[in-house]
Amino acid sequence: MPPSPDLERLYDEHAGAIFAFLLNVTRNEADTRDVLQEVFIKLARQPKLLSGVREERAFLMRLSHNAAIDLMRRRGTRERNHEQLAVESTGVFAPSTDPDEQAFREASTLALGELPPDQRVMVHLKLWEGLTFEAIAGVLEIPLNTAASRYRYGLDKLRERLRPLYEEIK
Amino acid sequence: MKPDEFEKQLQRQPLRAVPDHWRAEILREAKASVAADVRRRTDEAHAAAQPIRLLTSAGTTQAWWREWLWPSPQAWAGLAVVWLIILALNMTGSSRSSSDMAKQATPVPVDAGLSTQRRELARLLDKDNFSEPVPVPKPAPTGPRSEGLSPSKV
Repeated sequence: MPPSPDLERLYDEHAGAIFAFLLNVTRNEADTRDVLQEVFIKLARQPKLLSGVREERAFLMRLSHNAAIDLMRRRGTRERNHEQLAVESTGVFAPSTDPDEQAFREASTLALGELPPDQRVMVHLKLWEGLTFEAIAGVLEIPLNTAASRYRYGLDKLRERLRPLYEEIK
Repeated sequence: MKPDEFEKQLQRQPLRAVPDHWRAEILREAKASVAADVRRRTDEAHAAAQPIRLLTSAGTTQAWWREWLWPSPQAWAGLAVVWLIILALNMTGSSRSSSDMAKQATPVPVDAGLSTQRRELARLLDKDNFSEPVPVPKPAPTGPRSEGLSPSKV
């Protein structure tokens, strides 16, 4: 049996990013916890999973995304009702002491929740993970052009939705 | 493609951090799942070695048969029927061939041997009552064969 991967290191280096990504995908803290745990259980059970992987972060994002999609399919209707989802959504940003910033973060959370999941995932990976379209296309297993257009559509919607508040705090 | 001001504004928003207490819980769960896997594999290996030893008691024998036949009892039954048919055909064929052989057999040397034995037995039991004809030997020629020839043939 091959040696088990260094789970502590993997957690310390990647769990924060995976957590934020999953929270943005699932919009639910309990689901995020479940998927994060599932990912680490998979890593522990299959020590060879990471052997030969060059970009650990991208690989783990892909693993997490697939696990989240599986979970949401199992859970059923939540993903389909975007409006309801936006109302229920958990804050994806850290709280701020500045009221304007806090208002922008809350509005951004709601606006992200209103995006279709595939656009939301794209926006997250591009803006907060800093991945290239090529890398994102690899993570999500979609064509490069699809990745770029999804990002553009998602960003335009966010811009439109957040414009008044953004103009205020700019 | 350079990000515009709006994208930069969004990027500046810090994301929520993963709760601290999750680390220990998640890592513990992950390691426990590996330990559970190892335990399960050991149990399975142990269970796989069990059936031979368990043949002693009737209940476990039944369980063993059930486990053995479980995947496809119909296939096993079919196989048993085929074997029975093969066995029946084999037995029918062998009995027929043995009776045919019996009919065809009784060759001359066996008859001769049998008659010799019978004669020998009779001689031993009762020499007087023995009535089987004794083969008469041919008379040996008394002179050279040329003597028997007529002078005209010489």
